[in-house]
Amino acid sequence: MTQLDDMQYFLANAWWLGLGVAMLLYIILDGADLGAGIFGLVVGDHDERGAIMAAMAGTWDANETWLIVAGGILFGTFPFVYGSAFHYLMVPMAFVLWGVMSRAVAIEFRHLASEKWQRFTDWVFGLSSLTVTFFGGMSVGALLQGFPLVHEEGKLPYYAGGAFDFVSAFSIWTGIAACVAVTLSGVLFVRARFEKTERIRQDAARWTATIFWLAIGSVLITLVWSAAIFDWARSTWFGPHFWLWGIFGLVALWCIEQVRRDTLKDRDLAAILWYNGAVLILGLGMLITLHPWLVPGTWTIREGASPQVSLITFTMTMGGFLPVMVMYNWYQIWVFRARISKLVAYEHH
Amino acid sequence: MQPDPLSILISRIDFGLISSVHILFPPLTIGLAIILFGFELAWFRTNDERWYRLCRFFEKLFIVNFGAGVATGVTMEMAFGILYGPFSQAAGPFFGQVLGYETITAFMYEAGFIGLMIFGWGKISRKMHLFATFNVALSSTLSAMWILVANSWMQTPSGVEFKNGMFQVTNWLQALLNPNVFAAFPHMLLAAVELSLCFVVAVCAWFVFKRREVQLFARPLRYTLVALAAVAAVQIYMGDVLGENVLEHKPAALAAMEGQYDTYDENGNVNNAWNVIGWPNKDNTGLAWSIKIPHALSLIETKTWNGAVEGLNSFPEDERPPVILPFYTFRAMAAIGGAILLVALWGCWLSWRGRMTEGLASANRLFLMACTGMVVLPYIAVIAGWWTREIGRQPWIVYGMMRVEDGMSKLSVGLATFWLIGFAIFETAVVLGTIYFLLKVCRNGPDLTSPVAGDGDEHLGELDLPSSAGHADHPEYIRPV
Repeated sequence: MTQLDDMQYFLANAWWLGLGVAMLLYIILDGADLGAGIFGLVVGDHDERGAIMAAMAGTWDANETWLIVAGGILFGTFPFVYGSAFHYLMVPMAFVLWGVMSRAVAIEFRHLASEKWQRFTDWVFGLSSLTVTFFGGMSVGALLQGFPLVHEEGKLPYYAGGAFDFVSAFSIWTGIAACVAVTLSGVLFVRARFEKTERIRQDAARWTATIFWLAIGSVLITLVWSAAIFDWARSTWFGPHFWLWGIFGLVALWCIEQVRRDTLKDRDLAAILWYNGAVLILGLGMLITLHPWLVPGTWTIREGASPQVSLITFTMTMGGFLPVMVMYNWYQIWVFRARISKLVAYEHH
Repeated sequence: MQPDPLSILISRIDFGLISSVHILFPPLTIGLAIILFGFELAWFRTNDERWYRLCRFFEKLFIVNFGAGVATGVTMEMAFGILYGPFSQAAGPFFGQVLGYETITAFMYEAGFIGLMIFGWGKISRKMHLFATFNVALSSTLSAMWILVANSWMQTPSGVEFKNGMFQVTNWLQALLNPNVFAAFPHMLLAAVELSLCFVVAVCAWFVFKRREVQLFARPLRYTLVALAAVAAVQIYMGDVLGENVLEHKPAALAAMEGQYDTYDENGNVNNAWNVIGWPNKDNTGLAWSIKIPHALSLIETKTWNGAVEGLNSFPEDERPPVILPFYTFRAMAAIGGAILLVALWGCWLSWRGRMTEGLASANRLFLMACTGMVVLPYIAVIAGWWTREIGRQPWIVYGMMRVEDGMSKLSVGLATFWLIGFAIFETAVVLGTIYFLLKVCRNGPDLTSPVAGDGDEHLGELDLPSSAGHADHPEYIRPV
């Protein structure tokens, strides 16, 4: 559609990688917050639910920022995809959005509310975490299926389908799978964040084993299902380089096995790191499989990229700012690293 | 394919609601962060515990407001893609990229430091904390800068050409430094500071009025009143500068703001009278009635006795913005600007006469009531100003280049209604929740008893350090996250 020169195409690919990394960081970092929120739905003790929110109070905002950054990169570098994909996904995105808003309000206002209202905010926080995860996962599934575009002469291609075209058995499944995977991330987070003597940590530890196997099953079903219905996935995975993908799968499996071993030995931080490793490997594998598509069958990187991407602005934002912020995020996690007990109130934390 | 006019209307009401609610919160975040930095710097330099207590107290109000700002801000970003899909696609190469910079260099920057600022007390050193507060103030200002760059470009698009259905940037510098941004960004930044000063003045005045913690609140009340007087005065000047800019680059918008229909009257003389108030006639070709001041319009807008100001009737009918709203929102904003200055000057005069000391301040009942009641005014002014700006740009989404209906997503009436109702519920809940909790924090008052946060010496909880080698059976924690 637009002609990019070699440098622009290279930059578009670099931004695409940046977009992928931002999405993965969001899934890893805020996934733990979302999962802890979902886990909160089954926690009976009022103070324990409060402690879960307090445990993420110092970092949730920075974690969630990666979603906004991903949105910003998509809007800035791939505006044609942004406009049309949001049009396609307007209904699930509405729910994601309302969920994100409700979570922010629930976590920010909880410590100020009376106990009765705290019960309400807890309920809102858990349900909105579930909403964000389910519809977010559903959106990913819907994007993997692609969406139809209308090309008119002299105009940009736009989405002209219905508002509910995103619903399919596969997208409903990816929504469910996302909830399972994120809940595992959440219980791992709760385990690492609380004193080992706390009952809430022991509850989380008990839940881990079940959710762990559910998550493995979900990932496997998703991969098999993808290979069955998507030509782009099947032809890549079972093509001439199938052994490479085999290695990918084995490394991911090995990471997951480490998660299991570490949780059995109560090495909570190591378990989280291995889990994140598995997410990274699976996520990067999916990104590489998709390349050069941004949305399979609909938008390639070349067609979706803005011709205005320049080396100067790219270097400024990605080379200059992003590394500093990643370091800063790390410092922040470090400052709030300690285990806490449920007695620690929001205010004193 | 043109979307249904009703769905366009509903979507526009929806976006109007989303942006009007969002703009309630960031100005206080920006200005209050700067004020908090001032308070914390005072504590850092003087070790006067009262500054510390004020910091912690106003920070609680800051958090409530910040949460609402984030919630409604995420809405803004996504609403562009959803309600204005074609616009997002077409303007993305410039507009989207600027918003992208905003998320990376400002939003993310701010989110990184805000956790430390709010929860870092006692965990990090005082210097590091001061640094975090400084960065929150700086990053939220940067955020406002990027947003105003993007919005100003929609008002006075430059450095781009519209080709193949999209805006292609021909000159980045021209597009970024478009003619409107130099007047609009300072005007908005000053509005944020002015609103926040009014907010701090109102809170302090309320405590002094109630004779609660007068020792704590009388001093910042005096300081902020002086600052408010200065800022309010500069803001009135800056508003005038922006007005000249609008006259030059968006004459139709200015004509709507002033209710100016005819450039010349029937005798062929320049129509130089300023309409104080008025109402358009049924055909929207003139004012049915008005109260006028001769020569005032020329004086205000062109700074000459008889300068001509182009009237609405000289623009094609389908390129005229609506009149009633910009006309009255503009007047409301200007009147509020003047009122705030008067109250601030009143306070300065009281201070100068020595009547605002800790012992005497509570006696100025009427003044303190005025200060507290005034807090709603800057909020009304900010919304009124934004409406003047955005409605004045109609019917264009990008002035002179792209019409609003061409930038809208093709929503069905049902879907548009679903969105509007959903947003209305959530946004109302956010606004009501914010007001309720702001009031609650004020009612509870500052915490004067808990120990002052030390220099990064707070107990962090038990850390499980890696056990020495050879104890493989012992559970091992590197550093709990």
